[in-house]
Amino acid sequence: MRARRRSTPYLLVAPALLLFGAIVLVPIGLTAGFSFFRWDGLGPFEAIGLRNYRRAIGDDIFRSSFVHAAIYIGITIVLEVVVGMALAGLLTARRRGGMFFRVAFFVPVLLPMVVIAVLWSFVYNPDMGLLNGALERFGLDSLTRIWLGDPDTALVAISVVSGWVFAGFYMAIFYAAFQQIPRDVLEAAALDGAGGVRAWWHVKVPMARRAVEVALLLCITGGFQSFDLFYVLTNGGPYNSTEIPTTYLVKVVFRNREVGYGSAMAVILTAVVLVVGLAYSRLRAPQPRTA
Amino acid sequence: MLTVRVIASKVLFRIVMVVLAVIYGFPLAWMVLSSFKSNRETFRNPLALPTSIDLGVWADAWRIGNLGRYALNSALVTTATVVLILTLAGLAAYAFSRFEFGGSSLLLGLLLAGLLMPLQSYFVAQSELFDALGLKDTRWALILPYTAMGLPLAVYLLKAFLDGLPGELFDAARLDGCGDVRMFTALVLPLLRPGLATVAIFSALNAWNEFLLALLYISDDELKTLPTGLLAFSSRYTTDYQLLFSALSIVTLPMVAVYVAFHRQVTAGLTEGAVR
Repeated sequence: MRARRRSTPYLLVAPALLLFGAIVLVPIGLTAGFSFFRWDGLGPFEAIGLRNYRRAIGDDIFRSSFVHAAIYIGITIVLEVVVGMALAGLLTARRRGGMFFRVAFFVPVLLPMVVIAVLWSFVYNPDMGLLNGALERFGLDSLTRIWLGDPDTALVAISVVSGWVFAGFYMAIFYAAFQQIPRDVLEAAALDGAGGVRAWWHVKVPMARRAVEVALLLCITGGFQSFDLFYVLTNGGPYNSTEIPTTYLVKVVFRNREVGYGSAMAVILTAVVLVVGLAYSRLRAPQPRTA
Repeated sequence: MLTVRVIASKVLFRIVMVVLAVIYGFPLAWMVLSSFKSNRETFRNPLALPTSIDLGVWADAWRIGNLGRYALNSALVTTATVVLILTLAGLAAYAFSRFEFGGSSLLLGLLLAGLLMPLQSYFVAQSELFDALGLKDTRWALILPYTAMGLPLAVYLLKAFLDGLPGELFDAARLDGCGDVRMFTALVLPLLRPGLATVAIFSALNAWNEFLLALLYISDDELKTLPTGLLAFSSRYTTDYQLLFSALSIVTLPMVAVYVAFHRQVTAGLTEGAVR
């Protein structure tokens, strides 16, 4: 359709584009620009070429922050995506009901991460925490730990919280996908003797392939971007054992005021997220036919 | 035989679900119950039930924690963000969906690139920019980025929604002499209502819960939103567990209540927003 006035469509898109441009696009460009300078946020800019990038690649904490993020992603794929898939399978195993559970499992998704993090810092608290309290109650005193203060357990402890929050989110995605599967397919599977778990793994999950792909993509790219839980629970500690790219980035920029160096780290992190996201969507895109 | 198996599997199913729900709900239930126990009681036995229920502590937490102020700030920031996103994205989606104009695909592409870019790609420079402009420690320091971050997905979803409407509707309106502006107010807005509701839900939740920018851009306690305000409160009263459990409960329970009332729309809104 043509607009009555040629200017109308431009006037309609201008407010959104100008705001987005000024608040997001310009800072993207500036961040990339800052990454080639040494700058403390106040003083003069000193052009140093690629030195910030070389420093980042050689920075042990920065490198290990990606390893931690990768471990976190690996654990959360199981605790969020696979558990969510299993919950959705359970909830669709019966024709009716399940509404209560669907609502209950989704609740943590809505809550502010800070609320969840403070609550779980109490669950893990060595003195009055729910977890150690429950272990002692069952006579498992030897298993009690300072969960978030021990470099061996802190990262896993945080991943468990993340699983507790987001399993319900992935459940909702898979629930919707499983509902789309035609009834007769499931009935045919049941006639062939594939009930319960086998119907879930061999019929429902493969037929919800698109949902599986989306869920994995969200879990992976989201994992590299996490911040809130880590910041409140450990802020990278103990001994940098839960340092992830964004907690380190925030320290470098806002505590050390190394804006240029932080910008280079931000660019690297962005590149990782984009490359993973694009490579992933390229992989699952249907191969173009050659004529 | 068959009926025994059916009943057995039904019972097993129930048991599994109930066990899962208990494990799942336990931390939240523990939070509310612990808010009714003194610190000494919680220390002695974190699992014990409270002996009495006294909402006076909740009132104390509300007052001492300045929660009213934080909630008001969150409400103001969230409302402004949602109104801005709906207005700007509604207008832009209308133009992108219904009009042919030069450069439209380039402009749309620019906006939708925002779907891929993580917050980390711009917050460093954005922070310096807001410092230079004197925006830090104002509500705009949150409203503007929340709106800008929300626009790409909002435009994408609203455009998809408008694209799905039959073109004849618009042609007929045009034949009836409907101008560009009246077309928007009289035709697009009423039809777009379900799409706008979805966008409003996830935009509101994102703004209400956002933490990183709120942490970096607001240091004035009088302007803090609930997430950063609660964190400040919890670091001032680190060991007053009863007070903190009360504050967490005060923030959590209304959200749960709203969610239970609108769970269908909220779940759909959040998953659609993510899956797109």
